[in-house]
Amino acid sequence: MLQVNYIGAFCLIVLGMYCMIAKKNLMKTCIGMGMMDYGVNLLIVSVGFHDGGTAPIFVISELSRASFFVDPVPQALTLTSIVIGACTTAMALSLVIMAKKQYGTINTEQIRRLNG
Amino acid sequence: MTISMAHFPILAIMVLFLGAFLVALFGRKSEVLRNGISFLATGGAMAFMLALIKPVMIDGEVITYWLGNWAPVSGWAIGISIEVDALSLFFGLVITVAVFVSCIYAFTYMKEDDSLANYFTLFLMLSGSVLGLVLSGDLFNMFVMIEIMTFTAVALTAFRNNYEGAIEGAFKYLAVGALGSTAVLTGIAILYCQLHTLNLAQIAATLPQYADSPLTIMAFGLLFIGFGTKAFIFPFHPLAADAHAVAPASISLMISGVLTKCGVYGIIRLVYVLFQNVEVPAVQYLVVGFGTVSMFICVTMAFNQHNFKRLLAFHSISQVGYVIAAIGLGTALGLSSGLYHAMNHTLFKGLLFLTAGAVQHATGSLDLDRLGGLAKKMPKTCILFLIGAASISGLPPFNGFASKWYIYQAAFEKGSTSGNFFFIFVCVVALITSVLTLASFIKVAQSVFFGQLSPEFKDTKEVSLAMRIPMWILAVLCIFTGLLPGKVSEYLLTPATNAAMNAVNYIDQMMGQGYAVSHGVAGSLGDTAVTFAGVWDPVIWLLLLFCVTCAVAIVAILGSNRKLGTREAPAALQEPEKVAPAEAKYEPFFSGEESVYSQVGGSDLFWGFKHNLKKYFSFMHDWHSGIVNDYALYGVVAIAFVLVFCIAFV
Amino acid sequence: MTTFLINLVQLLIFPGLLFCVVFGVLLAGIDRKLVARMQRRVGPPILQPWYDFVKCCGKETIIPRYAKRAIFIGAPYVGLAGLIVIALFIPVSTYGSAFSAGADLVVILYLLTVAGVALIVGAATSGSPFAGVGLSREMVAMISYELPFVLVLLAVGRVAGTGTAIGCTFSLGTIAAFQAANGPLIAHWSLIPAAIAMLLVIPCEVGSHPFDIAEAETEICEGALTEYSGSPLGVFRLSHYIKMYIMTALFCAMFLGGITTGIAGVVGIVVDVIIFLVLCGVVSFLCMTIPHAICARLRVEQIFKFYWTIVAGLAAVSLIMVWVGL
Repeated sequence: MLQVNYIGAFCLIVLGMYCMIAKKNLMKTCIGMGMMDYGVNLLIVSVGFHDGGTAPIFVISELSRASFFVDPVPQALTLTSIVIGACTTAMALSLVIMAKKQYGTINTEQIRRLNG
Repeated sequence: MTISMAHFPILAIMVLFLGAFLVALFGRKSEVLRNGISFLATGGAMAFMLALIKPVMIDGEVITYWLGNWAPVSGWAIGISIEVDALSLFFGLVITVAVFVSCIYAFTYMKEDDSLANYFTLFLMLSGSVLGLVLSGDLFNMFVMIEIMTFTAVALTAFRNNYEGAIEGAFKYLAVGALGSTAVLTGIAILYCQLHTLNLAQIAATLPQYADSPLTIMAFGLLFIGFGTKAFIFPFHPLAADAHAVAPASISLMISGVLTKCGVYGIIRLVYVLFQNVEVPAVQYLVVGFGTVSMFICVTMAFNQHNFKRLLAFHSISQVGYVIAAIGLGTALGLSSGLYHAMNHTLFKGLLFLTAGAVQHATGSLDLDRLGGLAKKMPKTCILFLIGAASISGLPPFNGFASKWYIYQAAFEKGSTSGNFFFIFVCVVALITSVLTLASFIKVAQSVFFGQLSPEFKDTKEVSLAMRIPMWILAVLCIFTGLLPGKVSEYLLTPATNAAMNAVNYIDQMMGQGYAVSHGVAGSLGDTAVTFAGVWDPVIWLLLLFCVTCAVAIVAILGSNRKLGTREAPAALQEPEKVAPAEAKYEPFFSGEESVYSQVGGSDLFWGFKHNLKKYFSFMHDWHSGIVNDYALYGVVAIAFVLVFCIAFV
Repeated sequence: MTTFLINLVQLLIFPGLLFCVVFGVLLAGIDRKLVARMQRRVGPPILQPWYDFVKCCGKETIIPRYAKRAIFIGAPYVGLAGLIVIALFIPVSTYGSAFSAGADLVVILYLLTVAGVALIVGAATSGSPFAGVGLSREMVAMISYELPFVLVLLAVGRVAGTGTAIGCTFSLGTIAAFQAANGPLIAHWSLIPAAIAMLLVIPCEVGSHPFDIAEAETEICEGALTEYSGSPLGVFRLSHYIKMYIMTALFCAMFLGGITTGIAGVVGIVVDVIIFLVLCGVVSFLCMTIPHAICARLRVEQIFKFYWTIVAGLAAVSLIMVWVGL
């Protein structure tokens, strides 16, 4: 069951890298960056999963030795990572807008004044 | 709540973030308030770090602090921790000094830009995140700090968005940097999957049981290349070149002096403390190999550059290559020489970037082919530049020489004791890179400061004292750390090296005595005693040089029988003869009195060297194509290579 | 007090200022005379370099309009001082070196660079385009000879350090002690390619024909020294002569140490020092006079290619042989 998650996460990461390498449009590069982030987020959440566990939300009196819940720490990590991904995507998109204004195009082969 | 020494690290970080928040609230209204809050925040952080020198460096304590008082429960770390040992404090000191200097420089340098409240907010956030990274004792906290650091550095790189290429440089930095961040996060996820903890001390304690599992090795490879991206090692160096060239000079100082050191700090924690596998030969080859390749390729790339700051950026990565190669050697001398060079690099590279900023501020141009002869107009900046250039080229008695000398010894010794020719090759490459660095800075000196002044820059004035003071602070530190390598070694380097190589102490301080041994962690790595292959005493040499110079000067002055002075040319020669227009076309064939502007600089220099290596240079020029997809490809290939190497050989 | 006086004498007389000047001038003069004789000319008198220096000092110094006075005048003196300080660190046969605790081979390598940089900075500040081309060529020549020099240093350091705790050394004192105990290093046949490489490095370092591209009189009007006149020019010329002594002395200290008569006492030291100086003269003849008389000047890209392929190859062969343990 969990293998699907891991394979999916790995595929997302690789697809994201492929987008960044092969696509000549800046928007697609941003999409690739995003996909790498989502792949890693999926990986982290899957790491914490325990088969048959419940959500880790308890009133303190209900908590006992027999409670079996999924690991909450990776969920916290994922939340942080999602927020970071959102900020990075916002920053990247604003840079793309400004690039279009300055260069008139968002084709990466024409946005290369810094080279050599 | 009493404030004790244990609170100083978290206070230092919080002061910076609080300063960022206050500048965002009040900075728009008043320039004085904005500058004042920034000055107090950066100064306060530096003061806290300086106050920690006595307990941590001299007395050998390790300051531990659990946020929210979430102490470990039955041997499991459940809170976020801050652990300041001598290694963290060493980097903390270097960082806070660089931040402080950058801040006071920016007060004058950025005066003509607008939205400065945004600048200082982002700057203080950058400083806070960097300090948080080196003082943190928790792996995911380090990741969050890396992200804040990357994010703010990208924003600040694009700050002057009317400059040509600023947006482009920032986007490339963000996009390819995202590869590195993904690698770090994936590494952390895999480590968590294996060990179920994020605390550095606990990871260091429990990792040895899993040392042979492929998952752990994969995590190591990913973390190494992730931190390496932040340090801009080999295939990630074009990002550095682009970002440094377009960022404002005070931010270039931060990127080259501070952000790269964070990547270096991450790698040191990784190989020395977390995984403790620096004695494995394959790991040494990996780390030293990346360092050596970065060293050599970047210094040769610098010969092709026309932009002052882009050239400085390539040299920056070359020097970081020195640091990483020295760290990878795995001996105590190697690590301390790497740390020494890291500190010196921040100082002299910062100084060089600030002088580049001064030149840009005064003339508006950074093009090596157009500048020239600025020594007459900006003499004090010229002296500061020469101090920085002498330091980076490794001329005695400046600090670059002292740390490079240690690195050569470390490499030569390692080669001798292990009998391995690879380290001798590294030593040779290091020595050659040093002379190529000297050549490059002679080129810059001739192209910018010496030679002939172009008519378009004849109105330049020297930059103001407020901009020169931070440069002098760095220059004085360069000279002192070069003249007193013994003292630097005793107070700063040896404690830091011992702290890094003694993982048991690190673990025990955090998690309680005996924790490390109970999990089977071995004693400290290798021998921390240091023996030198050579001798160098800068004070003796300086005294000798001074005495001989005096003697020579006395003899020369006594011997010359005419006073040295300038003399006005006779009146008849002062006015060049005016030539009738019909005969003007014959003028070039008669060398007349008119002086022609003929500056030999920039691309005209070092023809012999560039001619012989034509194929190499044209290949390199095409390889640094400027397209973000290509840089992403190089990054992905590097990640794949490191992973395959690690799984196959480590 | 007495050590201070002794150090002062060492600094100023032997092996410091006075001795370097006298012996450097002698070496340069003998070199010019021999080259002339080999080319079937009469040649100048042996003390001609000294007469040149004295005459230069009597001329007026003209400072170009673009130059910064302090750097322009100070550069040659700093270069000369740097070179003389190197001479204090080289062990002269059984007399030893004056301040061996101060510097080792890597430091000497860098101090030689400082002397070259003094010339380059002096040239840069003069503002002349000839000087710009000259300093560029001087820098390429420096890059060229550094690689073989470094390889030779590492090979010698490894062989001389076989007795020490770490198996290698950079210290000239240790090298001298090793040769005093085991005989000159040139007798180790694995170091002979390194010795040949070093002999080839010396003329490029000194800047003598056929590697004097930086001072090509026929092309760029003396290059770096175009705008110099008067006593600064004299001092630069003097540094050139002193470099001849320093490089040959370095070669003798590294490869020909331990050739002593074994007589004890002051007489023995004097005789050994004289033998050392004669060996310096022989080395100078081999590596500077003979190529000077025979060869034409090499272009700068030819120099670079020659040093980074052939000479570096020789030195690398030696290093590998030493490493493998031959």
